[in-house]
Amino acid sequence: MKFYPVKVEAREEIGGYTLLHYRWDGPVEPGQFVMARVAGYPVTFDPFLARPFSFYDHDGETASLLFEVRGRGTALLDDARDKIEVTAPLGRGFRVNGAGGPVALLGGGIGVAPLKVLSRRLESMSIPYDVFLGFADARYSDVAREFPGARVATVDGSTGVRGTVLDAAPNLDRYAAVYACGPNPMLAAVKRAAGENATCQLSVEERMGCGNGSCNGCVVPVRDGGYVRSCIEGPVFDAEVLAW
Amino acid sequence: MREKTTREKLAVELCGVALETPLMPASGTMAKEALGEVAGVYGAILPKTTTPKKRAGNPPSRIAETPAGMVNSIGLQNPGVEKFLEGLDDFDLGLPVFVSVAGDTVDEFVALCERLSVDSRISAVELNLSCPNVEHGGLTFCAGPASVEEAIHASRAAFPDKPLFAKLTNEGVVANAVAAERAGADALTVINTIPALTIDPERQSVLVRGGLSGPAIKPVALRAVYDVSRAVSIPVIASGGVATGTDAAEFMLAGATAVQVGTASLVREPMDILREFSDYLERMDTTASGLIGAL
Repeated sequence: MKFYPVKVEAREEIGGYTLLHYRWDGPVEPGQFVMARVAGYPVTFDPFLARPFSFYDHDGETASLLFEVRGRGTALLDDARDKIEVTAPLGRGFRVNGAGGPVALLGGGIGVAPLKVLSRRLESMSIPYDVFLGFADARYSDVAREFPGARVATVDGSTGVRGTVLDAAPNLDRYAAVYACGPNPMLAAVKRAAGENATCQLSVEERMGCGNGSCNGCVVPVRDGGYVRSCIEGPVFDAEVLAW
Repeated sequence: MREKTTREKLAVELCGVALETPLMPASGTMAKEALGEVAGVYGAILPKTTTPKKRAGNPPSRIAETPAGMVNSIGLQNPGVEKFLEGLDDFDLGLPVFVSVAGDTVDEFVALCERLSVDSRISAVELNLSCPNVEHGGLTFCAGPASVEEAIHASRAAFPDKPLFAKLTNEGVVANAVAAERAGADALTVINTIPALTIDPERQSVLVRGGLSGPAIKPVALRAVYDVSRAVSIPVIASGGVATGTDAAEFMLAGATAVQVGTASLVREPMDILREFSDYLERMDTTASGLIGAL
């Protein structure tokens, strides 16, 4: 897999998350992701693998990644001040066609990540949308300020509605389309709540090895039996394709 | 005499098959989506292992990162040999195509070899002998020289005209290599992933029980290639932790004729590995074929 060294333009902390901006003037589709790691590889092979991140935002010149420090790979990226290494944009993003009225965007925890660049796409197409975000607690919900008008739920009730993102989004079946990213149980619940009629697209979060389809490590179960790769056939899937 | 060009210095011959470079993918580490990265790099193409029938593969989690490596348990996910052959033209880069096969029984290996022997696109078959042998309580075909010999002997008869490689695991590799040569293998791929386990300490559960690959296993693979090369007279194809061009050179010095790049291709561009290998040849004023066993 080819990696490009890119300069870190800015770093922000938004609640419990880190937002890294880097120069990237190539095209980015909402819902696409990159594999990223600190620069200098392979001086050490530990951590060995890069980490997958959805694009948070992209203005044509600068791209940004939103992430939570979960382990060593993300901790090292959190410390990166000069350069990081990224792949070109990967995967199949959200398919937006604009027919049929307002759409709903749902994010669970760090699953908020792809919704910013998706909301920009919707705005450019004059498609009205509502944003619903769920977090563990108020420390993480700070990022909701980046989504004016978003309805928020926290599991501990410290901000917004007490409960999950679905408690903040009671009438999902009213929307023409539902786009969501978050942990698999949340996505399964979104799929049920969206019902049969709406377009429902789900961006899955899976552990990835390569990002280019080679390792078959990031698979999700599909309704027709077997598994497909989230890095190539996803990470955004039509909900009806998924087994859960 | 005219000095060889850089490309000429990279060329090797493996069982009568001319390879532009001694590098090739290890089975199961290069999807067709990644072919764009390997043109001009590899001397042969080796797609993911195929089996008689479709295999869904193992449920997630399938991979876990480890220091300088990863543990995987993919479970030979593949569409089955007929679908595989329908899509084989996707892998046509004008390079020799080697096909990795796995069966649950000796008869399945034989059926696969018979099917592939009549396909002119295929230059060689690699028997993946690390899969469980259903007729012997689920031990792998590499459990001992007897089962290695049985599988290769039967496959040899079913695939008589082109090179037959046997891919061996590290455990018992020298005895298995001697048995494989005796049974008629033309070359030996050494080694496969090493049995390994990762645990999630937060959830107090097994994360992945599978095989370890990556730079972490390189010294183990190097020892196996070195020992096997001295025990048999057929070529050895090295596999295990190759991550740099110098790694590839080390494996050839240890006795390998060709070198597979696997896990490293997930995190590096294969072209960089070839460039490093080519730089090494220049620096040492030698050729790829001149390196083989040149310790």
